[in-house]
Amino acid sequence: MKRLLTVIVWIAVGGTGAIALATIALHRGEPINATWFVLAAVCSYLVAYRLYSAFIAAKLLALDNSRATPAERRDDGRDFVPTNKWVLFGHHFAAIAGPGPLVGPTLAAQFGYLPGTLWLIAGAAFAGCVQDLVILFCSIRRDGKTLGEMARQEVSRRGGFIAQLAVLAIMVILLGVVALVVVNALKSSPWATFTLSMTIPIALLLGVYLRYFRPGRVLEASVIGVALVLFVVVAGQWVADSPALASKFTLSGVALAFAIIAYGFAASALPVWLLLAPRDYLSAFIKAGAIFSLAAGILLVRPQVLMPPLTRFVDGSGPVFAGKIFPFCFITIACGAISGFHSMISSGTTPKMIQREGHARFIGYGAMLLESFVGVMAMVAACAMTPGVYFAINSPATIVGATPEAAAQTISSWGYPLSAATMTGLAHAVGEQTLLNRAGGAPSLAVGMAQIFSSTIGGERLLSIWYHFAIMFEALFILTVLDAGTRVGRFMMQELVGRVWKPLGRMNWYPGILLSSALIVGAWGYFLYQGVVDPLGGINSLWPLFGISNQLLAAVALVVATTILLKMNRLRWIWVTLLPMAWLVVVTMTASYQKIFSPNPRIGFLAAANAMAAQIAGGKIPAARIVETHRLIFNQRLDAVVTATLAVMFLVLLVEAVIQWHAILGRGKEPVLYETPYVVTQWAEGD
Amino acid sequence: MRRAWRYTRSGLTRLWQGLREWSGDAAYERYVKCTARDGPKAPLSPSQFYVEQLNRRYSRPNRCC
Repeated sequence: MKRLLTVIVWIAVGGTGAIALATIALHRGEPINATWFVLAAVCSYLVAYRLYSAFIAAKLLALDNSRATPAERRDDGRDFVPTNKWVLFGHHFAAIAGPGPLVGPTLAAQFGYLPGTLWLIAGAAFAGCVQDLVILFCSIRRDGKTLGEMARQEVSRRGGFIAQLAVLAIMVILLGVVALVVVNALKSSPWATFTLSMTIPIALLLGVYLRYFRPGRVLEASVIGVALVLFVVVAGQWVADSPALASKFTLSGVALAFAIIAYGFAASALPVWLLLAPRDYLSAFIKAGAIFSLAAGILLVRPQVLMPPLTRFVDGSGPVFAGKIFPFCFITIACGAISGFHSMISSGTTPKMIQREGHARFIGYGAMLLESFVGVMAMVAACAMTPGVYFAINSPATIVGATPEAAAQTISSWGYPLSAATMTGLAHAVGEQTLLNRAGGAPSLAVGMAQIFSSTIGGERLLSIWYHFAIMFEALFILTVLDAGTRVGRFMMQELVGRVWKPLGRMNWYPGILLSSALIVGAWGYFLYQGVVDPLGGINSLWPLFGISNQLLAAVALVVATTILLKMNRLRWIWVTLLPMAWLVVVTMTASYQKIFSPNPRIGFLAAANAMAAQIAGGKIPAARIVETHRLIFNQRLDAVVTATLAVMFLVLLVEAVIQWHAILGRGKEPVLYETPYVVTQWAEGD
Repeated sequence: MRRAWRYTRSGLTRLWQGLREWSGDAAYERYVKCTARDGPKAPLSPSQFYVEQLNRRYSRPNRCC
């Protein structure tokens, strides 16, 4: 009887999901309610979790609860700590959830809501969650080894080196592009700049409190910190209203870029307890709060999605970024569907804390489903605003024009009606001088979130507070990635360069710390500066570069996972990792090829460089701008070289892996598997 | 009524404990328990442990995109 009831419930969940998916896919003409998106996503996730993840856990991985995990065998109260599965889910989710699933879907909304939403749901269920779960499993069976270490042992030494180098390269591009998102959100905005800069003294205060007054009392410090941050969000309005103060906090893109570069250097070189850790605590709580309130807001307000399912920009002529749906929708969404970076968290940190192998399904697969849901919510928030407004916020001035009148005229001519008064009125309502040309996803998401929040609490009157709360949340969130990433990048750099020049490898040698911090900050700072001065807005070239590198890392993780599973004799189910890997290879290689060689200067790096060179040769560039244009040409060529290098590095790893697979399958070579030996658990069932 | 109160109280206690574990508030207590089990080795002070823990945590990828 109970079994029958279960079957009926699951059929109902599946049926509801199918109806919701069909509704959003087939709907045309009138706006559609956001509830359909929530239903489609949640029901699909439930079915995927109940069926597909259970299948993977039982058949492909054969998770074994009788096997002692590293946390049980090596419990040391520090790294190896057996942790309750709900708490570990929270840890893991807080670590994997970054700005990517918020920014990517917002940018991909230029194709319409449909392609992005479908890929967020399907990509997570069949690729992203699978990657996170399988890598977590592989790392649990190897005492929490990192992806690089597993690649070295299980694929080849060269493979390990490539994986390490790829991670460092991706980190640099990632930090450059997320810093650019912050710059575009803060430029010429005294309110947002004040709020964000005040989070630094607040973090320092918390750092001293947690180190000297109440060591380790994170909760009480966080409560104080969050209250102070909320206060500075409101106080920002007073700064914006005071002409003397407002002028001090009104910064250009270049000035902000240098401020963020200086901040990144400080956060990497200063003791971690002073700035980095307390800021991370603040960010974790505000992140959890903002994501929860966005979900609650969407459910309460049930906004209408005004963006059409498909826009005219599916042909590749999009103003936000150029390129067709295939491959650029997938490259742009990146983290919300599958993120290579998650394999860094799934290997290394989480596997050392897991109590039972069986928990890997809930933590690895489940947390990624939640991340994908954040992406769907970001998509809803971006598509709930008028399409004209969305394009005005996200398009660079070189395409739509720098004034509200020009932007309104261009965007209306595309078939998305917009008046100049709407843009000036909206900017005024959110407390900004202008909302035009703020490519990067953060401001349009903030407008979408503010509209949803203000429909719940406060109405029009609180729109500006909600907008700046959303901007602060995203910027705080991104700066946390930036400082933590810079520090980890510094360690990776010290480790890599330390092999050649020993002193730099010493982690407590201060000149070495300063030098490697400067190198890593200089590297991402270069990409950031390049994005800020790019006439097409920077996001157009840098976000796809980031997406390609992120998806390539995911492909690396799946290559390693497939190799390990083949060695474990799981050939029958190998398609579970092999198919998403093959898909990623096709997507990333097509995107890399187009970004390098496309004859369209808005897509191809080389074509863009050649077009600018032709303009100089034709005398179309004024003498004063020739040096600057040469630098832009150099940047485009550098981007082409970086893309090509990443693609070649991946192909080398793939060839190494295929040779291994051939040896295992074709020649029947006995594979060497570097798993830790089986030890039976001492814990009773149900612990 | 009493049973409902008992359930609510135990639920809230577990939620609070979970929050303390998640945020790192309870890390020192867990560490002291762990060192006590392993033998009579003097544990680090709360402040030393806190700094050591942070240095370890932030030297490997722990925040994602």
